[in-house]
Amino acid sequence: MSRLNPFAKLPGLNAASVLLVENEEHFQQSLAEALVKETSVTVNVRLAKSFPLPVENDESRPRIDLVVFIINLTSELSFQSAEASLKYLEPGYFLGKVCFMVSNARSSSVPAERLDAVRRLAASLHCPLLFAEDQTQQGVTNAAERLLTILKVAAGFVPFTTSLCLSNLTRSTLPPDIDQPSFD
Amino acid sequence: MDSSESGEDINGRVERDGDPGGSSGQKETSTADMLRIKQQMSNQCFEMEVHLNAGKHRRSCSTSEAERDYSDHISELERVKTLQFNQTLALHRMQMWHAMEEKIKINDPESDALKVVNERCMALCCQIKQIQQETRLLQDEITELQKKRLEMKRLTHDKMKEMEDLMSSKEHPDTEKCKAALEKGQKNLEKYKKMSIMAQNVLRGILLACKINWLDDPKLRDVAMTLEEFPITD
Repeated sequence: MSRLNPFAKLPGLNAASVLLVENEEHFQQSLAEALVKETSVTVNVRLAKSFPLPVENDESRPRIDLVVFIINLTSELSFQSAEASLKYLEPGYFLGKVCFMVSNARSSSVPAERLDAVRRLAASLHCPLLFAEDQTQQGVTNAAERLLTILKVAAGFVPFTTSLCLSNLTRSTLPPDIDQPSFD
Repeated sequence: MDSSESGEDINGRVERDGDPGGSSGQKETSTADMLRIKQQMSNQCFEMEVHLNAGKHRRSCSTSEAERDYSDHISELERVKTLQFNQTLALHRMQMWHAMEEKIKINDPESDALKVVNERCMALCCQIKQIQQETRLLQDEITELQKKRLEMKRLTHDKMKEMEDLMSSKEHPDTEKCKAALEKGQKNLEKYKKMSIMAQNVLRGILLACKINWLDDPKLRDVAMTLEEFPITD
């Protein structure tokens, strides 16, 4: 079982690489298009459905600065696939190079326990949790912007800030009443 | 956009942002770009160094202890970061003022405009100071008035309470004294009434028994008449 190692390769000059992992492969496409519009740095976006990644691409794959797990809350499979993929990452990634992005959190068909479970997962791994709206262009652009902020830090473009430092300031915490039943 | 092959059900695709001029190998990079790249690389090296040194200081402790230490470290980190940020701001302020000073010393049209703006700022600041002082005075006056009003209210309240006390307490002690006196008087009255009735009965008995002629003697007749007024009680 080969794990993805954050420091196995040399970083790219003036480039940042992000890996979007999504089971449905739906949101990652539009998000990728929005991400590459950034001009000040070269953004390499790699898309994957889940881990483990195919071994054939190991050589050509650049060093991944940020791994984003996109979880669609309307499907339980999405969350389970993301959870199962976690063990294919080296622990070095969880010090700020992993981010969770959740879509469709406002949908009424989503059971509250799934969001709580995602929250718990993000809080236990000390990773930031972003909520994105994938239906409109504006939502995609906003999500891409927020991802770019984290990506720039992970790739070292922000002076005096490392991804570990940023993750400590943006990590997701559990709301204190997460175990109490919600209103619906 | 190049796409690589997919293995079984896993796809990996690469999208590369093409830079406007030149191939990916050699680019025309300006000095600023090179500095930026250098900074990026030093940042990355720093991260790798941190990871390398992370394993050196190991100590075993429980998770809860680790959590506590972690939050302590985080707050320390935040404190230092804010301190550094504030100090950077102060430094920037000083640099800016120094630059403005230098600029004003040279006499050219730009520095004249700067001087004019400066004068206006100072005038506005003086005005602000004055208005603030006036505000403070007015505020003090208002506080004084409020204190006086409160004092008045308190006095009024006290006076009202006093009046109420007086009104309610006026009848009370008098009626008490009166009642006691009244009762005592009545008891005495009863006692003497009984005594006089008994004496009168006795006298009547004596008069009747001794067959005294009381009609002739005026003094005796008066006494006997008065006997008739009192009812014969037991």
